[in-house]
Amino acid sequence: MRPRVLVAMSGGVDSSVAAALLGEQGYDVVGIAMRLAPESTPTARKRGTCCSHDDFEDARRVAELMNFPFYVIDLRADFAARVMNNFVSEYLAARTPNPCVMCNREIKFDRLWERARALEADFIATGHYARIERDATDAFHLMRAADESKDQSYFLFMLGQEQLARTLFPLGSMTKTEVRARARALGLANADKPESQEICFVPDGDYASFVERRASNSDIRAGRIMDNRGNALAEHAGIHRFTVGQRRGLGIATGEPLYVREIDRASGNVVVALRDQISSSGLVAERVTLVDPTLAEYEEVRAEVKIRYRHRALPATLRFGDGDRAEVRFDSPGPAVTPGQACVFYRGDDVLGGGFIERAVLS
Amino acid sequence: MVFTSGGTESNNMAIFGVALASAHRRKIVSSMIEHSSVLAPLSELEQRGFEIVRIAPDREGRIPPGSVVAEIDANTALVTLALANSEIGSILDTEKFAEAASLNGAVFHLDAAQAAGRIAVDVSALRCDLMTLSAHKLGAPAGIGALYVRDAARIAPRMSGGSQENGMRAGTPNLIGAVAFGMAAEAARSTMAEESARVAVLARSLLERLRASIPALRLNGPANDRLPNTLNLTFSGVLGETLLIALDLEGVQVSMGSACAAGAVEASHVLRAMGLSDADARSSLRISLGWNTTAADIDAAAATIARVWRRIADREPLSAEAAS
Repeated sequence: MRPRVLVAMSGGVDSSVAAALLGEQGYDVVGIAMRLAPESTPTARKRGTCCSHDDFEDARRVAELMNFPFYVIDLRADFAARVMNNFVSEYLAARTPNPCVMCNREIKFDRLWERARALEADFIATGHYARIERDATDAFHLMRAADESKDQSYFLFMLGQEQLARTLFPLGSMTKTEVRARARALGLANADKPESQEICFVPDGDYASFVERRASNSDIRAGRIMDNRGNALAEHAGIHRFTVGQRRGLGIATGEPLYVREIDRASGNVVVALRDQISSSGLVAERVTLVDPTLAEYEEVRAEVKIRYRHRALPATLRFGDGDRAEVRFDSPGPAVTPGQACVFYRGDDVLGGGFIERAVLS
Repeated sequence: MVFTSGGTESNNMAIFGVALASAHRRKIVSSMIEHSSVLAPLSELEQRGFEIVRIAPDREGRIPPGSVVAEIDANTALVTLALANSEIGSILDTEKFAEAASLNGAVFHLDAAQAAGRIAVDVSALRCDLMTLSAHKLGAPAGIGALYVRDAARIAPRMSGGSQENGMRAGTPNLIGAVAFGMAAEAARSTMAEESARVAVLARSLLERLRASIPALRLNGPANDRLPNTLNLTFSGVLGETLLIALDLEGVQVSMGSACAAGAVEASHVLRAMGLSDADARSSLRISLGWNTTAADIDAAAATIARVWRRIADREPLSAEAAS
């Protein structure tokens, strides 16, 4: 029997080409679109972000064209409980969440995998730009995409051996240009569809209002913007409106640009400082997972560490502590470290693992 | 008999047509378990100022006559109810509704899209003023249906233009469709007694076999007074959505609730109105048998459904979030 693969399809060009390629390679493809964002958000009507109705129609047309079954499934309750609620509670706790990482961890590679097993799928596949390779010892490696500008391995660091063994990323070795060309050659109508950019459930990009709509008033922590020496510079309406490292929108006019250095949930204080005062010498990561779990047995591990998706990976030394924590020490002071963001450990093109930033170690 | 494009158009014609024709009456009595082509027009009229009464069914999905009759008064323009429910197959006992509508001068509309061809639908015996029929439910092609209209004076046309269909629906009629509809209706009438008995035996056999292999399987709807071909079942421990997809992949086509605009299935409003929890409604599927269902199909379906249910129950835990 042909191996069955459940392909998560958004209606975008990437997942469409991924599904089409797997079909060409002889897999028994089952296309699945996930309903994630609630109806009340404008996403449902806006084309071009993930998971709107029109996007599902695009995915359905691809399935018809390529002749494989396609279904829409409703994971709104799981998404609200595991991704959106987490997004809100993280902002309220003075952290800056990465919902795409949470969606991969909690929905695509957890909840969807359960569904895939129930549907007797051998693999799940997505249109992510990342590679999975199997070495001579049968160990799986998660690796950066061939197209460096599109590489999405950062969002996938949580995948372990078991998950990598049953996951396919058909676009990992292709460039976006090649993917679009392939889509045109296949006659896919969405070949030139624009990229989705915003967070799917906050399509207007206004995170603060989203958090405020979903939080109770008593959870909103207003306070003061302070400078490094403890002087109050201004009042603010809630710590969830700030991100460590942020410069714009602080509402303070000073000569030199100021950046958010620290956010203190207990006092409500947002501490701002000059650029050279926000850098960090390292960080502590929590909920750390490793692609190769035996790595934790080493006392120290050299790696390059990425602390935001669009940042360059910085050379660092890792020490794995008790539980699932890890300490990261940069070779030279790095940029502002934002609690709540994912930090991902690389060695060359290999993803070693990663975790969520608990706190910065300020220099 | 006004030919239409199908059951949805007939229901729209009946509801909007009576509302438009009614000079003073501003109330419509219906139920919570109607088809979307009834519920949506009612919501629209509600926004235009009509009072809409949606009666709740009992736990078996029957509309209690007492509560409807009490609502029918001199302000009631229309009483609109399904003769047989499309999701659970419960059959309406029309007598008291017909009587109350007639006494109060209200128009009595029956949506018989699901009933026709499976049980006798005699407009005189049922004493209805309007009746919706859908041809593809009888095996005719899709795209043709009809509205029986007892008294054209009580319903305003919604499609204006030429004088086709006695001025009730302008536009060139779908002649080939109407002929096919007639043939299908004739065939259904001549074989109905025999066919209903055959399908009832098959449905009972399927239900018994599923009960033997699936613990806590529950049949929704009344035990008697139901269509012979419709089984609405709650499969505990699994999501109906997963079961539906898994069965479709194995060649067994069943249905669930109704599809939303995106193509996902929504929990059935009928089951929710009957008092099932959201989780139970999401664990329920509808299995419909037809004139082309054979005993071999039932054998295959019984084995496949039991096997697939077991697999899903083992592999996909019901998350607390999804159940809440």
